[in-house]
Amino acid sequence: MLDAFSRKAVSADSSGAFIGGGELASLKSFIAEGNKRLDAVNAITSNASCVVSDAVAGICCENTGLTAPNGGVYTNRKMAACLRDGEIVLRYVSYALLAGDASVLQDRCLNGLRETYAALGVPTGSASRAVAIMKAAAGALITNTNSQPKKMPVTTGDCSNIAGEAASYFDMVISAIS
Amino acid sequence: MKSVITTVVGAADSASRFPSASDMESVQGSIQRAAARLEAAEKLAGNYDQVAQEAVDAVYNQYPNGATGRQPRKCATEGKEKCKRDFVHYLRLINYCLVTGGTGPLDELAINGQKEVYKALSIDAGTYVAGFSHLRSRGCAPRDMSAQALTAYNQLLDYVINSLG
Repeated sequence: MLDAFSRKAVSADSSGAFIGGGELASLKSFIAEGNKRLDAVNAITSNASCVVSDAVAGICCENTGLTAPNGGVYTNRKMAACLRDGEIVLRYVSYALLAGDASVLQDRCLNGLRETYAALGVPTGSASRAVAIMKAAAGALITNTNSQPKKMPVTTGDCSNIAGEAASYFDMVISAIS
Repeated sequence: MKSVITTVVGAADSASRFPSASDMESVQGSIQRAAARLEAAEKLAGNYDQVAQEAVDAVYNQYPNGATGRQPRKCATEGKEKCKRDFVHYLRLINYCLVTGGTGPLDELAINGQKEVYKALSIDAGTYVAGFSHLRSRGCAPRDMSAQALTAYNQLLDYVINSLG
């Protein structure tokens, strides 16, 4: 598992180079934006349960066939598994966002997920739609533009960069399973 | 690779929980100290050649015959070049450690197995200690870098010295 800092070390080591000026500039902005990153992770973790259940409820509303007999989340057992998986995905996205690097998400969550879902017969279209809903919700929570009355009293600032980074991790999940 | 952030994430993952408030505090603490570390890394990256040369000179002051301690080599420059190459290697890993904020790069790429290698090559690890000890006492704040940056740099030099002891 790597973070934004050790990623630089690993890539510099492959060419035997020291880490100097240009490479350090991006890390300096990582440090300067550190509070935004921590607030963004907090925005996701504090609302995790809401984000996950909204996403799963969302796919069920959009596609009523899912809850009908033989549907993807028919029976409470499958619905519970779906909610659990949503939380796992969101958890690994929050790790990646905290570390500033996707390796933890790729290695520990997405590696082999497509094959697992294919073997279990999980409908990947609905699964990726649920991730897309979580992506939208996380983006709104990070930029504090969510429509819900629950807004965080954080220092105001432009968090579009960090929201974009979070969105890229959700996109990785979507492309890994669909 | 071990750093504050990967340690925190690893611990959270083994407990299957989201990053907690105390995890965030740990990361925040690491980020706060990172500016000094990166300053030291930048200074070292810009000046490593001279630093390594000083270490080599210190080694040959104390051990005129070089690291093997045997009779003078026929080609003394070769030994000095290899000695400098090794110091540059250690300094590069110190540079990585300063960037990552942990000792992972040094541990994984140098310290694991180093005693066995030096023993097999009949190299006296004490010669490296002579060079690093010189560097340890050579750094000066604020001439070379800020005091906090120098602390981070010296901490890693001490780590290397202790690993060779």
